[in-house]
Amino acid sequence: MPAETHVARSPLGPEEVFALVRERLAEILEIDESRITRESRFTEDLDADSLALIELVEVLEEEIGERTVGFSVDDEDLDDLHTVGDAVDYVIARLEQAGS
Amino acid sequence: MGTTIAIDAMGGDRAPGEIVAGALLAVEELGIDALLVGREEIVREHLPGGDTPPGVKLLDAREVIAMDDDPARSVRTRKDASVVRCANAVRDGDASAMVSAGNTGAAMAAALLRLGRIRGVARPAIAVPIPVPGDHHQLLVDAGATVDATADWLVQFARMGRAYAQLRYGLAEATVGLLSNGEEAGKGDELRKQAAALLEAVPGYVGNVEGRDFMHSGRADVIVTDGFTGNVVLKTIEGALRSLAGLVFTVLESTPETRDASKVVTPLLLDAANVFDPDLTGGGLLLGVNGVCVISHGSSSARAIVCAAKVALDAVEGNAVDRIKEAVVDAG
Repeated sequence: MPAETHVARSPLGPEEVFALVRERLAEILEIDESRITRESRFTEDLDADSLALIELVEVLEEEIGERTVGFSVDDEDLDDLHTVGDAVDYVIARLEQAGS
Repeated sequence: MGTTIAIDAMGGDRAPGEIVAGALLAVEELGIDALLVGREEIVREHLPGGDTPPGVKLLDAREVIAMDDDPARSVRTRKDASVVRCANAVRDGDASAMVSAGNTGAAMAAALLRLGRIRGVARPAIAVPIPVPGDHHQLLVDAGATVDATADWLVQFARMGRAYAQLRYGLAEATVGLLSNGEEAGKGDELRKQAAALLEAVPGYVGNVEGRDFMHSGRADVIVTDGFTGNVVLKTIEGALRSLAGLVFTVLESTPETRDASKVVTPLLLDAANVFDPDLTGGGLLLGVNGVCVISHGSSSARAIVCAAKVALDAVEGNAVDRIKEAVVDAG
């Protein structure tokens, strides 16, 4: 495994990624975590605007980047993320890319 | 050593010349230290002899976010933009506050993403002072940071705006009105109706106010609305004042008698009209972020930058962020 992509701590699994996304999104939107499910749509269900999504991306890059070097989000991919589940799946895919 | 204020040298229609000139004046007049942020070689062209005088420091930032760039994405992709570097300087403790006359959305996004939000605040709001002849300014909250607001957010704007009005104008108990299309309870669209019910819990809330209550003392010290409406209000006031000034001076030039009268009246009118000069009202404080960010209008002159720096300095010295935090936490 190349040094620049080593995993400092145990890799994040799907449930951990979902928990992290839900926790951080709840903080950003100032809503209760229980309102957020994998099926929640950012705009229609959670009133999350583009700035909220970018806040989420920044915090995920920072936190996940501490564990998995090389993790990043492409801004052009944000338009394809409509639900929380989309975001979780995207993060997992990017983690796999970063770790490969 | 004075309080250090990071000034976005590249932001604004008249940048960098007027911004740099304003920063130098602010150092002289306010005793601050200015951290000028922008392309070093360009900023130096506007410094006397190309050197930084005492109290002025330079921070090189190679990128610029233009007025028509997408704010949030630009802040993410242009990490070396002057406004982003300003926010970083505040976050890292290299400056106590930031001032920008550039892209408002970018300044807001940079402050939000780099300084963070105050807990209990979903979205920031800009508190812009509206002149009131013979009295302290009113605060218009929000003047354009958050165009789509919810009723809960308007309540947060009200609490933050009230705390800041009390600090900025030394008011014991600032009053808060909700901008609507009628002052009677129950007037307004769904957002206003929902917000009005929630605002009853906010100290100092006086109910609905109308557009005509701007620039008049006695009705409300803080007028709360969503950022879309607030920005329209702000530009409407500016346009109306400009039109009114044109009308007055047209009349004064219309006959030999009025031209004679104008020799006496015009200097008095110009002096009195200073109260409406957007360069002199000071910038708008961004409420809800965890640091001091002052946004000055896009066509800011050197004098506007001095006034914005004064607003920033007062906010730092008055612990505005802590006062706003207390107002939001007390509500929670």
